[in-house]
Amino acid sequence: MSENAITRRSFLAGSAGAVALTAAAGYMGFDAWEQAHADDASGGGETKTVHTLCNACSSKCGYTAYVVNGRLTKLIGDTDHPYSKGKLCARGYGYSQIAYSEDRLTDPLKKNGQGKFEAISWDQAYSEIAEKVRAIIDADGPQALAMVQDPRPSGKYYTKRFMNALGSANVYTHGAACNLSKESGMTQAIGTGSYSSDVANSKMTMFIGRSYADAIRPSSVVALQKAHEKGAHIVLVDPRCNNSRVFADEWVPINPGTDLALVLAMSNVLVTHGRYDKEFVAANTVGFDEWAKELAEYPPEWAEGVTGIPADTIARLAMEFAEAAPAASIEPSWRGAFGCSYENSGETARAICLFNTLLGCWNQKGGALFTPSVSAGKLSDERFADPKKPEGKQVGAAEYPLALSSMGTNLAAAQAAEDGTVKGMFFYNSNMAAGYSNTAKLAELLGKLDLMVVVDVQMSETAMLADYVLPDTSYLERLELPEFIGGKVPAVALRDQVIDVVHPNTRPVDRIFSELAEACGVGEYFRFGVDELADAQLQTVGLSLDALKQTGTAHFPEKEFAYGTAPKFKTPTEKVQFTSEACEKAGLSAAPVWVEPAVMPMGDELRLIGGKQAIHSHTQTANIEDLMQITKDYDLTRVWINADVARRLGIEDGDEVEVSNTQHTGRVRAKVTQRMNPTALYMPSHYGCSSPDQHTAYEVGLRQMDFVPFHLEPAYGGACTQEAVVTVKKVGA
Amino acid sequence: MARYGMLINTKKCIGCYACRVACQRQNDLLPTQDFIRYEEHETGTYPNVAIETVPLQCMHCEDAPCAAVCPTGAAYIGADGIVGVDEGRCIGCKYCMAACPYQVRVHNEKTGTVDKCRFCTVSAETSGTKMCSCVEACLTGARIFGDLDDPASDISKEIAATNAQPIAGDLTKSKVFYVR
Repeated sequence: MSENAITRRSFLAGSAGAVALTAAAGYMGFDAWEQAHADDASGGGETKTVHTLCNACSSKCGYTAYVVNGRLTKLIGDTDHPYSKGKLCARGYGYSQIAYSEDRLTDPLKKNGQGKFEAISWDQAYSEIAEKVRAIIDADGPQALAMVQDPRPSGKYYTKRFMNALGSANVYTHGAACNLSKESGMTQAIGTGSYSSDVANSKMTMFIGRSYADAIRPSSVVALQKAHEKGAHIVLVDPRCNNSRVFADEWVPINPGTDLALVLAMSNVLVTHGRYDKEFVAANTVGFDEWAKELAEYPPEWAEGVTGIPADTIARLAMEFAEAAPAASIEPSWRGAFGCSYENSGETARAICLFNTLLGCWNQKGGALFTPSVSAGKLSDERFADPKKPEGKQVGAAEYPLALSSMGTNLAAAQAAEDGTVKGMFFYNSNMAAGYSNTAKLAELLGKLDLMVVVDVQMSETAMLADYVLPDTSYLERLELPEFIGGKVPAVALRDQVIDVVHPNTRPVDRIFSELAEACGVGEYFRFGVDELADAQLQTVGLSLDALKQTGTAHFPEKEFAYGTAPKFKTPTEKVQFTSEACEKAGLSAAPVWVEPAVMPMGDELRLIGGKQAIHSHTQTANIEDLMQITKDYDLTRVWINADVARRLGIEDGDEVEVSNTQHTGRVRAKVTQRMNPTALYMPSHYGCSSPDQHTAYEVGLRQMDFVPFHLEPAYGGACTQEAVVTVKKVGA
Repeated sequence: MARYGMLINTKKCIGCYACRVACQRQNDLLPTQDFIRYEEHETGTYPNVAIETVPLQCMHCEDAPCAAVCPTGAAYIGADGIVGVDEGRCIGCKYCMAACPYQVRVHNEKTGTVDKCRFCTVSAETSGTKMCSCVEACLTGARIFGDLDDPASDISKEIAATNAQPIAGDLTKSKVFYVR
């Protein structure tokens, strides 16, 4: 029984009146339901509450799970969690049902000679995988092994430790298909991969390709709303008029792939008119004169032709920024337009940091902030000592030198399967095959591996390609390591175990990689329980596992952020770098200049862009019935097309259209709308599941990545997920 | 007795569907039981576009057409003014669905009966559980629930301040008010 258990008696005492009221109304409310179950709870029924962290997206919002008679019944966002602030989004509510999904993986699977999966024992799975791992290491060394994982509190720790214990440095996040270019580009300018725009306190914030209302983190939505209600000037730069429009003053429908041109031109305006923070630039930066010289090439009149935004608008936006500075910034975005989308994404990120530098807004109220974080200190217990640092460098590091090593270029690892540089790959919480780049090419590359192991909760498209599939518990069925969260007041939060394991033969991620390590002969690095490590980590920051279980979230107020002075930038020069030696060495311009996208739409072609809908996370939630039903009810698989373009092509709202390019052809209905830039076609990024074992998601809609050519961004290694052009025509026309 | 009502401010609605899914989780509904449905409006022409999402649900009408047409008394107006469904009496004829001008009654394919928004905020508030009903779930505070007869309630004050109106005027004496 949980320490947070509410006794049946205490729970009902406060609700007896409501029971009578609702019972009279003829339906079964929660209280009536409680009452009814009180009588048949022969199994010692109880209501308990457990703090956990949502797993529906990377935000990992904290919430309180209510469990009645062992079953999850309710979710309420934790008010003191910095991201949830007492709320959850639709994905959070819906994705909790993954625990009870009928499509869960329940046993370890091995692909047989006919290409069909058959259930095997854990022992057999471990021993066969270990045998293959050893064979690969013996023949080619540990660097022929690689891991791809979308970071989660326990997963990121155990996957890395497992690979490092084997001697491989090839640990990759999903980043190349997410925010690798953005984080790497920003690092070149400001020495860190991101910052926080102080949206709620700003006088002006510009969002480029990011929508808080579509890729929801509750605290961000609240900040945007607050800014709007206080009269801040909120600008959305996006080829699609996204749902944040409700809290924005203007939508700037830029031609996709040209955000860099807009930022260069706005910078040109500030420099030309001397409307930048000269004092800040003089004291805290290097290379300004060189960039200023480059900027002369990019007046608004030039950018108009590239971006489709009138020169007047560009000049006006720049001057409005100057007026609002330093309580203004371009928001750092995440994946959006320049996380991994184009040939120029890393350089766009770099230029945005430099533009913010012109505003002098770093660490200023309403500007762009470097908020503090806390992490676990050094652990004295020798069992937790790190394995020896692997000798090699990540595969792909030489070809894509600007890619942050904390993420790496997972596509380069997959590419290395082509010539056998990489022979074995592991995947955790990653659906690379369906979501990272061209699906046909990825299937071909991963098909060349000698060993492919996938750990997941459902049969993803990546799992379908694997030799072995190991069934993870859902996030609700395990305790994980504490999650440290940076912010104005840094915090730490816990994903505790909410419910008992639903399928007895599934195992939690910490156990899977510990046991796999044991089988591979490196078990000495895993002789501890996840609870022991969690407690040890928390002790280093003055907490304990028991204490954090009680509260779910704990804050570090002594580390609170204070507005004011510019930070020491973690660049080689300890200043903001208008010029970067590393960029120059990687073949780019020392100071950011205009870089053309890899492809441009010609004639009737449209650029294919993706993006989130508020109810889904990539391909991970499409099989959740609550969420997919919304997709079906509102026909959300439709591609969005500009109304004038549609008229020219004879396409009416709701028509079935054929979307086609050199990579793929498929049919879907069209949404004809005023909300689209005429050079683009928007296809939501969640659909087109090709795994028949995902019964809810299978074959609903089209999959963006089927249309995206396999191509990596030079120097940065991003997946170039929007370097695709397509044609659209009405079916039967 | 309180006369419960709701205010929905579409100027704050981001169309995120959190209220729908929270409602389904709160009330243990089927994925197809959407007690909240949405209408999306797009106005203006490119690039000067405005968007609006209007969440619609049972308006708990004082002149409830569903109750008027229900042949068995399954659809009824309770003593507290909340429009209810007595599942045991419902024969699944769907007259109420046809009669509802707001098209917010939903057929349960498992039980064969019809259901809709229950104003569950009442039970959540009185029991102190404050579970994730649509009001609690809304990220932007677009929804306010309360007693329309209490001039000091948040909802009464907000209706007065914003001149919130029922979605279809005086049609059915709806108790859900909209700011648009």
